[in-house]
Amino acid sequence: MEDENNTFDPDLIHAIFKLLWTRRALERERNDVADALDCEVGAGTSKKNRQTSANGKAIKLSCELLRIFITEAVQRAATIAEAEGASKIEATHLERILPQLLLDF
Amino acid sequence: MEKAMDMDMEMEREEEEEEETESVSDVLRDRFRLSTISIAEAEAKRNGMEISEPIVACISDLAFKYAEQLAKDLELFAQHASRKIVKMEDVILSAHRNEHLATSLRSLCDDLKAKEPQSERKRKKTPRKENKATTSVVHIPDN
Repeated sequence: MEDENNTFDPDLIHAIFKLLWTRRALERERNDVADALDCEVGAGTSKKNRQTSANGKAIKLSCELLRIFITEAVQRAATIAEAEGASKIEATHLERILPQLLLDF
Repeated sequence: MEKAMDMDMEMEREEEEEEETESVSDVLRDRFRLSTISIAEAEAKRNGMEISEPIVACISDLAFKYAEQLAKDLELFAQHASRKIVKMEDVILSAHRNEHLATSLRSLCDDLKAKEPQSERKRKKTPRKENKATTSVVHIPDN
């Protein structure tokens, strides 16, 4: 039950992804407009710029990926904290595990 | 002169637009942070540890950055496959550098696929062909 409570809401992740994709699509559009002004052959590119969307299962999988990222960060930091005999995870512990964590993801 | 004014107006309007998306993303970021906090604290508890709040916030920011990067990757992967829709294989591909991660994502992907045909309450019209194609691409040793 705990597992079910503690994961990302797929709708939230979907909304975040959508926002980023919309932003990128807009950027591309702007660049294309600039290009079109330059060379006047911008026709027919609108199709290329249709926005990306995602399959529901793909979003679920991304949620899991992000969840794993967080649990890994906490778990690794906890291991370091334990080795140092601390009972609370502090900045130094996170600092120690950060380089490898970022390489792993 | 008039042209310059037009430009100014345009700039302003664009700024406004940007602000709007900015505030939307703030809401999303906050919701994201709340989820992260609950995940991180539960995980710390499981390890019999406490975790200080700034660290959770830091991990949350990292995760958000990672999500942004992930979104970019997924879009590029889908585009590379000349698709407009991100599929599970794209997500798996984004984790390809870490074998363990890729393997666990693959097994989860299979779980999701196995669940799909039984619970067709969403009735999303995903053609069978697609499913077959992905299973033939992804080889997973059952372990």
